[in-house]
Amino acid sequence: MEQVLKKRKHSKINKNYYGYIFTAPFIIGFLLFSLYPLVYTFYLSLTDMTLMSKSYKFIGLGNFKKLFEDRFFIQSFLNTWKIWLINFIPQIGIAMLLAVWFTSTRLKIRFVGFWRTIFYLPNILMPATIAVLFFNLFSYYGPVNQIGVRIGLFKDAVDFFRSSAWTVSIVAFIQWWMWFGTTLIIIMAGMTSISPSFYESAMVDGANSWQMFTKITLPLLRPVLVYILVTSLVGGMQMFDIPYMLTDGRGSPNGSIMTMNILMYMKFSSNKGHIGAAASVGVMIFLVTSISALVIIKLLKEKESKREIKRINRGVEGYELHG
Amino acid sequence: MKKLISILLVLLLTVGLFSGCGKTEEQANSNQTGEKVLKIWSFTDEIKTMSVAFREKHPDVKIEYTMIPMTNGEYQTKLKSALQSGEAPDIIALEASFVREFIESDYLEDLSDLLPIAQELKTYQFTIDMATHDGKVKAYSYQATPGAMFYRRSLAKKYFGTDDPEKIQELVSDMKKFEEAAKIVKEKSKGNTYMVASVGDFTNLFFANREKPWVVDGKLYIDPKIDELFEIAKSFRQNGYEAQANQWQEGWFAGMNDSLVDAKGNPKQVFSYFLPTWGLPYVLMPNSSPKEVKIEGSDKTKKVGKDTSGDWACIRGPMPYQWGGTWIAVVKGTKNLELAKDFVKFATLDEENLKNWALGVYTNEYLKKIDPTIGDKLSQGPGDFVSSQKVVEEIVDKFDDASTSKFLAGQNSYRSFAEAAPYISLKLLQGTDDAIQRALNDPLNNYVSGKATKEQAIKQFKEAVKNTLPDLIVE
Repeated sequence: MEQVLKKRKHSKINKNYYGYIFTAPFIIGFLLFSLYPLVYTFYLSLTDMTLMSKSYKFIGLGNFKKLFEDRFFIQSFLNTWKIWLINFIPQIGIAMLLAVWFTSTRLKIRFVGFWRTIFYLPNILMPATIAVLFFNLFSYYGPVNQIGVRIGLFKDAVDFFRSSAWTVSIVAFIQWWMWFGTTLIIIMAGMTSISPSFYESAMVDGANSWQMFTKITLPLLRPVLVYILVTSLVGGMQMFDIPYMLTDGRGSPNGSIMTMNILMYMKFSSNKGHIGAAASVGVMIFLVTSISALVIIKLLKEKESKREIKRINRGVEGYELHG
Repeated sequence: MKKLISILLVLLLTVGLFSGCGKTEEQANSNQTGEKVLKIWSFTDEIKTMSVAFREKHPDVKIEYTMIPMTNGEYQTKLKSALQSGEAPDIIALEASFVREFIESDYLEDLSDLLPIAQELKTYQFTIDMATHDGKVKAYSYQATPGAMFYRRSLAKKYFGTDDPEKIQELVSDMKKFEEAAKIVKEKSKGNTYMVASVGDFTNLFFANREKPWVVDGKLYIDPKIDELFEIAKSFRQNGYEAQANQWQEGWFAGMNDSLVDAKGNPKQVFSYFLPTWGLPYVLMPNSSPKEVKIEGSDKTKKVGKDTSGDWACIRGPMPYQWGGTWIAVVKGTKNLELAKDFVKFATLDEENLKNWALGVYTNEYLKKIDPTIGDKLSQGPGDFVSSQKVVEEIVDKFDDASTSKFLAGQNSYRSFAEAAPYISLKLLQGTDDAIQRALNDPLNNYVSGKATKEQAIKQFKEAVKNTLPDLIVE
């Protein structure tokens, strides 16, 4: 009896280790490749280290002071938000619309898998390829101008990449085109996990599609939406490849597509390679992203719990009425 | 079944993990067997051709060649971080636009002991000046790159009544005259022929003819020539003397074989291009023949453009300038110092190699005999202008009936370059030039297209300079 007990105890302890062992690769990878660089970036942002000289010294918050006096930092901050918002709002709107259509039991759209794949495809392409493709499409002697003028869309050839508004729109469009497929898939996964019985009972109660969408789909989709919002925000704040490759790598024209990451890279690749100044931009991107993500999570959670209470109250009232 | 698949997958992943290690072990082994390895980084295939030719003389040397593009400055950035982390190659190629940054740093080996050879070969002084810092020569170049103006003979006849290079040279001998000529071209062609493809074509000329460098006593200095550039460029854009076909883009190349078509479908022509020595064999000649384009919806191809070879001529143009050039340097701390020096000596200061280089001896077949793995494209055509005056003088006559001369209707461009090369001075060049001139791009274009006044453009320029060069004083 005692032996059996001991054995059991032994095996229990053993199993407890499994968890650590299985998570160890991730933890080690995270500490080595995420946490360490993060802490090191904070450290670097307080130095005046450059690529071209071997010695450096602490300069406290000097880099940040310079950064806030720098018109380009403010501009890149606004640019990043602008491009992200212009691409994110239509992205989630259209993805939501398509997801409702695709999952709707009334419409019964065929070949959903096929459409989903088609919409996801741009995401598989290399950003470098896409940037070169769009650069050629919209170049002064490119096909968009040739066709646009001939069918009377524009009066004269447009120099797209010399106009800030056009260039920003093109970048936002590419970002939208590349990412709405991903968003669509995540939203569809969220929608299909909502039990059909909710919709069935709503239909029995005589609710129309709009009511079902706002009263059932949206509230139950909230956790998924928070996830999409936060991941897209993190990605959007780090936008780099498309705007970098599309024009001269400096956010041309007039720095209109210079995102914070491009500014960071510009500081890093300047003639002396100002690592310290680049790290301070990196720290700012980290802070901006973290704060906005926290705000989003907090806001949506609070709303959720408040609504929950309201809903329960209303539900109780309704019950009383029915009763 | 599921278990089996997952075990297989895990195995596959582990194999993938370790296969990376295997390679490095292999390499380490080959090092031990006595084979010398030389690591070279460059941004063009030219150095690869050189390295294959080098192996003909040194078959025991193994060369690891890495090519990194420099379109948006990727090469320089990669190089800088590699130099800082101590993982740099033995030999690096440096382009004119950023060579000074590296020469002024302390990452390069002093190669001054090769100077007597350079003097013996009468290497053009400006290529040595460019690579000298504090009295130390740190790199050598195999080419000299004086610039020229190339124009279409048939169009010259049509609009100026002559295609004689000397007469055309007189018509465009300074920027004012060049502008007047542009007006004539526009009026007589009813706007269907542009003087140049883009404003960017002639910015180099203004940069090359400044009085003072960009940075004087740590302060940004804006030369009066830049003012002139702003005015001329605006006049060219506003009057429609240029095609708005930016350098290195489709429209720019399309002008070379007459396939430029504007958005309304009207064919347009470009009268002249500003290109240096290497621009003739590498840019103008390969792009002056019809291009095969696939017809949409079928496998058939159609030809676009026409053969313009033989319709070109070469003159000095409004102002002397030089453009580009590749220098080769040895990284400090390399384990193969002697071998690396040998390579620099071979590539830049070897009479036989320079002759072979300029005369087109290094054909694909020739290189394949040395190294069969190089593929079918690597080769060096004739016509590159080399850095040794001695070699140039010996071979200049051989170009009288070379393909480059046929392309220019019998004009020996090599001779014109040989006359221009000794007069080039690069004393104005500084490590910060590239960053400053890139910063000028946007403001200049804003002014030219009328989106900004000159004050606004200069302000934008200064701000952009401050952003890329925080250590510089900008007033």
